Amino acid sequence: MTENQQPAEKFRVAVFADFVCPYSFLAVEQIDRLAREYDVQPLWRPHWLHPDTPPEGCPREQSPDAAARAERRNAWMKEMAPDQFARMRYPEKRQYSFPAFEALEFACDYGLDFAYKTAVYDLMWTEGGDIGEIDTLLNAAERVGLDVGELQIALEQRLYADRALDAVKQAHRIGITSTPTIFLGRTRINGWHYYEVLQSVMEKQGMRPRELIAH
Amino acid sequence: MQQSYIIDSAAAPWKRGASEGIAFSCQVLLSGEDGGPEALRFRFDDCPSVYAHMHLTAQFQLLLSGAMDFPRGVKHLESLAIHYTDHNMPYGPFAVSRNHDMLVLHPRAGGIISMANLDARRQINLQGRLFAALAADAQWHPLPGVDNTTYMHLIPAGLGPAAVVVNAPAHAALAMPAPSFGRYEVVLDGSVIFEGQELGPPGFRYVRGDHPVEPLISGDSGASVAFLTFDKDALEGGIIGGGLAAEAAEMMARAI
Repeated sequence: MTENQQPAEKFRVAVFADFVCPYSFLAVEQIDRLAREYDVQPLWRPHWLHPDTPPEGCPREQSPDAAARAERRNAWMKEMAPDQFARMRYPEKRQYSFPAFEALEFACDYGLDFAYKTAVYDLMWTEGGDIGEIDTLLNAAERVGLDVGELQIALEQRLYADRALDAVKQAHRIGITSTPTIFLGRTRINGWHYYEVLQSVMEKQGMRPRELIAH
Repeated sequence: MQQSYIIDSAAAPWKRGASEGIAFSCQVLLSGEDGGPEALRFRFDDCPSVYAHMHLTAQFQLLLSGAMDFPRGVKHLESLAIHYTDHNMPYGPFAVSRNHDMLVLHPRAGGIISMANLDARRQINLQGRLFAALAADAQWHPLPGVDNTTYMHLIPAGLGPAAVVVNAPAHAALAMPAPSFGRYEVVLDGSVIFEGQELGPPGFRYVRGDHPVEPLISGDSGASVAFLTFDKDALEGGIIGGGLAAEAAEMMARAI
C-alpha cells in the first residue's frame, strides 16, 4: 500500500444511539461530516435507552432539581456544540422511540437509512416533532425520498417490529451501555466526543480525508 | 530516589485569579518547578459552567467543601469526594457551588488546557480513566490489627490509582506501602505529625520512592487522613517539549 492509498479493507463506522438522546443528536452532525470527509459509510443502529416509555410518551420530571440539571446540561451542550445547541428545542416530554427504529429498518432496505436518521433527529430536536407519532416519521421519509405510503403500511402493520427488536437486542449483546457509542474501525468510543477526536482515531488507523487523497 | 514534601496549607498565601472568565481564590502549595509534584488549592466562586479542560498529568481532585456537578458521567459530587483523571483526560464543563474548596494534586507539573483548543482535542487520551466517588457513599471498615482505627475506600483497590481515608485515634502510627508512583497524604481532620512536623487540615505530605516512608503519626485528638496513591499513569505526559505542553504551562501560569 502506498502512502496515498486507503486500506484495502473497508473501514467500518457504526453508531449505536437512541433518537431521544440529546447527546446522540449532537453526534449526528459529526458522523454526517465524517461521511462527507472520509470514504466511509456509517451505520446508525438503535440502542433503546428507555424501553419503559409508553407509546404516548411520558412527562419530564418537574422539580427544582430537574431544572438545575437541565441548566447544567444546557451549559454543557452550549459549550460542546454551540451551533447545534442554538438550533435545539428540547422536547417537553420523553418520546417513544421504537417506531422510529422500525422506520429506520425500512429505510435501510432502500439504502436511505443514513439520510433518514438525520431527518428524524432534525424533526425531533429542531422542529418540535414527536417521533412516537407516525406522521413525524412519514414527514422524515418524504424529506429523504422514501415511499411514504409504503412506510405508513409498514408502520401500521408493524412489518419491521421484529427486525427493530433484533437490532435493539444486538446492541445489548455487544454490551452497549452509552449512547451514542461510536465504533471507528477497531476503536470504540463511549459517549459523545469532539470531532477532532474522531478524526484523530480515523487517521491513526490509516484513514485520510478525501480531500487529501485527491491531492 | 526518595521524594518527600511536607506542606502546611494553612500557612500558604491565597490570591485571586481567573481563567476564561471563571473567578477563584487559589493557593500554590507545590509549584512542580523542581520536577517534583504540583499541588494547588482552588476555591471557585459559584459558577454554572467551568469550561471543559484537561491536564497533561494524572490528577486527584479532593473536594474538601461544596459541590461539583457534571452533566455527563460523574454527575454530582459533594464533599468529601474524590475525582481522579489520567493524563490528557478531559472533563467538564461542570458547575461549582456551595463554598467550593478543593485540592488539585498532580505527580508533577501538568498545566491546564481548555478543550476549546482544537490541537488539544487531538491529544486526548481515549484510554484515560476517570474515577469519582463521594465519601457519603462509602463504608467504614475496621483496620485489621489496629485498635479503634477505621478506613474507607473512595477508589477501590485494584483499579490502579487508589484513594483511602483512614480515621485513627490519637498517637496512631499509620504506615503505607512504598509509594512507587507517588502518594499524597492529606489531613482531613484532627492533626498529623509528618516527620516531626505537626499539621492540621488540609496539610499534606507527598512522598514517592521505592521504599516505605516514615509512618505518619496522628496527633493528640486523632486524625482523619486521605491517602491518594498514583499508579503508573503518573509517569505519563507532563510539561515536556513545546507545543501543547508549553501552552498548557502558560495557561496554568496565567490562571494562578
